Amino acid sequence: MSVLKIKDVSKIFPNGTTAVDSFSLDVADGELVCLLGPSGSGKSTLLRMVGGFETPTSGLMTIDGEDITRVPPEKRPTGMVFQSHALWTHMNVFKNLAFGLKLRKVPADEIKRRVEGVLELVGLGGYGTRSVTQLSGGQQQRVALARSLVLEPKILLLDEPFASLDQHLRERLREEVRDIQQRLKITTLFVTHGQDEALSMADRIVVMRDGKTEQIDRPDVVYREPQTPFVAGFIGTMNLIEGVVANGVFSKAGYSTPVPVSDGPVTLAIRPEAVDLTAASQNAHGKVHRVTDYGTHGLVDLELLDGTRMKAMVPHPDLFKPGQGVTLALRAVAAYRDGAVIYRTGVVTPVSHPALVDA
Amino acid sequence: MTIANTGPLAPVATHRRRPYGLLLVATPVLLVAWLVIWPIISAVIQTAFVTTADGGSAVSLETYSFFFSDGYSLSNLSMTLWTTGVCAALLLVVCLPIALYLRFSDSKVAAYVQGLAIFPMFVPSIILSFAFIRVLGPNGTVDLLLNSVGLPHIRSPYLTPWGPVIGLVWDNIPLTVLILLSGLGNVSNQSVEAARDVGAGKFALLWHIILPRISNSILVAISFAVLGIFSAFTLPYILGPAAPEMMGPFMQRTFRELLESKTAITQAVVTFGFCIVFGLFYVRSVAKNRAA
Repeated sequence: MSVLKIKDVSKIFPNGTTAVDSFSLDVADGELVCLLGPSGSGKSTLLRMVGGFETPTSGLMTIDGEDITRVPPEKRPTGMVFQSHALWTHMNVFKNLAFGLKLRKVPADEIKRRVEGVLELVGLGGYGTRSVTQLSGGQQQRVALARSLVLEPKILLLDEPFASLDQHLRERLREEVRDIQQRLKITTLFVTHGQDEALSMADRIVVMRDGKTEQIDRPDVVYREPQTPFVAGFIGTMNLIEGVVANGVFSKAGYSTPVPVSDGPVTLAIRPEAVDLTAASQNAHGKVHRVTDYGTHGLVDLELLDGTRMKAMVPHPDLFKPGQGVTLALRAVAAYRDGAVIYRTGVVTPVSHPALVDA
Repeated sequence: MTIANTGPLAPVATHRRRPYGLLLVATPVLLVAWLVIWPIISAVIQTAFVTTADGGSAVSLETYSFFFSDGYSLSNLSMTLWTTGVCAALLLVVCLPIALYLRFSDSKVAAYVQGLAIFPMFVPSIILSFAFIRVLGPNGTVDLLLNSVGLPHIRSPYLTPWGPVIGLVWDNIPLTVLILLSGLGNVSNQSVEAARDVGAGKFALLWHIILPRISNSILVAISFAVLGIFSAFTLPYILGPAAPEMMGPFMQRTFRELLESKTAITQAVVTFGFCIVFGLFYVRSVAKNRAA
């Protein structure tokens, strides 16, 4: 059992920058938690503090109840996979993996058995004698992962491990890493700024902004029920429309929809898949600006009467042309005021994609 | 099937390769050939032939057999080798920690340390020599300070083999630090952190990760230092003992005072022979780096 607890951890750099501000998180045994946020949100600093490469200014971190706040990285039961792989090019694959075991004075035959086992696990069986410079980016990242796994760490830390890989390889590797993590049931903290990575891999997502937590939830909840306008805008595509509610009705550029909250300014958040578009020559709410066909669905870029831009997901993009008038109906909305959600309709049912229906 | 007559073929544009690159390097190459390569060849030829009784010339390694059988020449050579070896070792011992500190320290003090380490580069050897005498020589600053607090005289390294060693080490610190620092620049922070992450302490990190990664830079730094130290003149001449002496002052004295030019050239060829070994180390290292 390996449980990571982070309590009120802050990091203020000598130049006065607050990178992490009173951050708390409990990661359960075998759980994969993604730290997600834009650049400068403090997610990497937090991960480095868990790895021991940065010392918190204040707060407490424990692994299985043991205080590790001031423990140096070489004495922590954590294993980190770096963005740039950080393999040692003067060693071959086997030696890269065996180095940590040798430092722990593990017998040679045991080292051989464990290294070969982990190489098989990451799909690189028989690659031990290869120079790391002869490997592709994906293979190098697998070696980096294997180097951490071979030491059987209590907590696995992944610092944007797929950032330097192409999209195709990234998608394949994240599935493999998720499989390995679930097979080994290893507690994992994963830093990424890629929301698709977080949504597809995590048991829970921590959305961070300016060193603070915006929301901690399951990926589906973070996507469907974002608690703040920042999370709403950061995860997936979201239409955020500023407007005013009067007498329970939100109005904007000739379009209105009921939002039963007190009068005042609100930010309306609507997913593109929650917007139903109908072609209209009269009483249009806006006109089509651009249509993008993604094969499985289309994304229509709309311009409302006052110039506000919106996106709508449509199953048949060929029905819409630039300049065409459209009316819109919103199937699900959320309203935010003062940075918090104040109203939400039901969960959006995704639009049926032609490709999926055909299948 | 008909074949259209398209007339005579258009002339193919000839792509003339103009030797601009070669012209650019021609001057330095010619200068090196004239001022370095030719004197070497000339020296080897001069020392490999002797004038016979009838005025002709014959191949003979007489001057070399004299050098390698003469106790004084051999003690000078061994003194030069000792000085070079000790200096190279001391340079590594002194410069590696400085370079490591400069590479991995975030402290503001690092900038001042770097300034101090590079400072000897701007001090001419002759000034360094006299500064050394004024500080460490008999009745120098150290002596005066010790006397003022009632402590005995130091045994001054001036005019002992340690005189040139101290001077040459001080003189070679900047270049050695800069070369090592450049090598350490190729050791990424993440590879160091990855080593610490798998459990490497400071010594394991240095021995297993950093040193292997900068081995080429160490070789280059040592080659440069050795090449300079082996043929050094000013510092050994002013600070070193009269006998035995290093090859630089030895050659000069043989040539100027004993007027034995052929013997001096032989000494130069022997010195060159030792230096070329380190030169080859350097060339091999550069070639290896380029191949990598």
